[in-house]
Amino acid sequence: MSLLELRGITKAFGGFRVLEGVDFDVRPSEVHALAGENGAGKSTLMNIVSGVLPADSGTILWEGREVQIRTPRDAQNLGIAFVHQELALAPELTAAENIFLGRHPARRGWVRWGEIYSRAGELLRELGQDIDPRRKVIELSLAQRQLIEIARALAFHSRLIIMDEPTAPLGSKDAEGLFRTIGALRERGVSVIYISHRMREIYEVTDRVTVMRDGRRVFTKPTVETTTDELVRAMIGEELKARMTAEVTSCAAEPGEALRIDGEFDLVVHHGEVVGLAGLAGAGRTELLEWLFGAEGNSVRPIFVNGLPVKIRSPRDAIRHGMGLVPDDRKGKGLVLGASLTDNIALPGRRDRLFLRTADERRSAGELMGELRIRAVSLDQQLRYLSGGNQQKAVLAKWLSAGSTIFLLDEPTRGVDVRSKGEIYDIIRALCARGCAVLLASSELEELLALSDRIVVMHRGRIAGELTRADATEERILHLATGGSN
Amino acid sequence: MKKTPPALVLQRFGPLLGLVILCATLGVLSDHFLTFENLINVFRQSSVNALVALGQLVVIITAGIDLSVGSIMGLSCVLAAMMLKSGVPPAVALAGSLAIGAALGAVNGTLLTKLRLPHPFIPTLGMMNVARGLALVISGGFPISELPASFRFWGAGTVLWVPAPVIVVIFFCVIFHVFLTRTTVGRDIYAIGGNPQAARLSGVPLDARLILVYTLSGMMAGAAAIVLAGRMNSGFPLAGSGAELDAIAAVIIGGASFFGGVGTVGGTLVGALIMGVLRNGLNLLNVSASWQTVVIGVVIVGAVLVDVIRKRAAERG
Repeated sequence: MSLLELRGITKAFGGFRVLEGVDFDVRPSEVHALAGENGAGKSTLMNIVSGVLPADSGTILWEGREVQIRTPRDAQNLGIAFVHQELALAPELTAAENIFLGRHPARRGWVRWGEIYSRAGELLRELGQDIDPRRKVIELSLAQRQLIEIARALAFHSRLIIMDEPTAPLGSKDAEGLFRTIGALRERGVSVIYISHRMREIYEVTDRVTVMRDGRRVFTKPTVETTTDELVRAMIGEELKARMTAEVTSCAAEPGEALRIDGEFDLVVHHGEVVGLAGLAGAGRTELLEWLFGAEGNSVRPIFVNGLPVKIRSPRDAIRHGMGLVPDDRKGKGLVLGASLTDNIALPGRRDRLFLRTADERRSAGELMGELRIRAVSLDQQLRYLSGGNQQKAVLAKWLSAGSTIFLLDEPTRGVDVRSKGEIYDIIRALCARGCAVLLASSELEELLALSDRIVVMHRGRIAGELTRADATEERILHLATGGSN
Repeated sequence: MKKTPPALVLQRFGPLLGLVILCATLGVLSDHFLTFENLINVFRQSSVNALVALGQLVVIITAGIDLSVGSIMGLSCVLAAMMLKSGVPPAVALAGSLAIGAALGAVNGTLLTKLRLPHPFIPTLGMMNVARGLALVISGGFPISELPASFRFWGAGTVLWVPAPVIVVIFFCVIFHVFLTRTTVGRDIYAIGGNPQAARLSGVPLDARLILVYTLSGMMAGAAAIVLAGRMNSGFPLAGSGAELDAIAAVIIGGASFFGGVGTVGGTLVGALIMGVLRNGLNLLNVSASWQTVVIGVVIVGAVLVDVIRKRAAERG
């Protein structure tokens, strides 16, 4: 009998179906890989299992009995734990206290510290790693913190632990340690759902694999009976591949480079060219773009803009040299949500002037609002009331109004509806037709293939290879991104 | 003109509405309240708080706080009086008081940004103690009285029938209003309060703006010190004790948010006047000073509570 069984799970967000009748099951003591591209529905499915989101329809069985999981607490009580990518620990408390956080063993309200430390120590040893339970979490490495979360799940008597790309932030040695821990969990009778798209890991630690694509389950098979090629094809889909190659548009690169980095990290973007930046989560795409933009302060490596060496010490310098960054997190880094559309669009263009030119700013913002089809009530509307797609277009409008010529785009269509996505693609194509240079980082391969003239693939903070438009396929990109050689 | 939704009108003019209702109520309860002389008097009594609050407003818009302004007032007050006593011309002493305030504020801002102290509470709390201590050390703990008439003018004089401090307040209100609404630097300050990350990635020089903000706050404490010293005809080391809290109260009653990005000069002036009117009106009604403090405490919490409830309602509707 399965430990967890999902039957016909369906979920839609605002009319957009993200899960369509998904069946899925996990057996006791099984490590089950859940693979698929971003947007395939893996996270939504796991959010339903862990009580973060309700399913629209379908049933959930736990040990053969139908159950309702309405809140994270319900999931916890059943014995389901989610080890998140962003770890949820209190850094200033000890490892042991984090493991028992919220459920300190106590007698009549008095915490029993001795018991906390001894039980925490036991749990950590069972997981195959020697961590002093009295150390503060802030002193521990990322891998050790992950282990604390897993120990925490065990202290809750969890029988199913969901891990979302757990090796993304880890080095290879730490990853090996994690695999040993997963082995120890299996021996204890705990099941693991392992979300990853790294092929090597799927083959190394999992018993069965389920591939999802476009909100459906493609197949579930014992891992040993599949091949890498079969998995990749299942993740991408044949018909999609055909469509993508047909959709290619061309905007010929003008002579003259817009942006170049030399040395071990070799990258060139020409005027009128879109260079795609591919890589798995944690490969360093965001870091590269923010570094180019001076967000991390002084740069040591030389950057060439329009062929001339420049020093970029701050975003101000980058803007002065014609760069514009559309960050990965538009709410956190891209926009002042409480300020008006005009104020947001005009902000980067306001350097080197003391008094506002309100009339100019409004006219320019109004023009961009029409040109980019930003749907807002008025120029004075606060950004927080705009949809994700319109907010993202406002970030692009900032740099258009500042007269940028080099666009650094980080996941420009993340969390954006389909219509806005198409419109943003049009904007990117129009930019390059105007002779702007675009460096486009995206985790959607489809997007990179549709827009890029060349694709640079990153792996663990380095460039793993470069593919021309003619050579680029999803398989080749994934191959390089997962550490294969060119 | 497009019609502004009623909720927005209330948000913009809520504090003013409160002030009007308060004045009308006091007018009914007391015959003396709504006389021209009394109203001018209220304005004069509110002027020191209004000046300090203008500086505090700029800080609070960046989601910061400046606890040191009261103590900076004390130190500026003592140093200006000592300058006057040693024969420095009043105009120079005046500029000196502003400069001392600005310099101490710049130290706050530099500690916050360049030395990366975690929160403005820390450097300004430190400065609060340092400046007060220095004021006491330098003055020996005694007030320095009998200041020249041309200096006293700024606290006690009148132009026609308008008190000089009121003119000073109006002058700075205009300057700060233009600064905050019409200059790029002013808008940068709102952007920083709204989202410092986004502001930085849009090219706003965070450190320079924050240092400026604390410098302005210190300078306004220096300005308030001039008015206070003029009115009291002395520089006394305990001048401005608790002024930082009154100023914060005025800013918050005036509709600014501790989370930053929001706040206006008009609102802050109204906030300072509400506090002045309350004190004055309660005096006229023979309410004891101790009870006045209780009432002001309730008004501070009440004003913010109304704001919070209205915002929640707006978000739901």
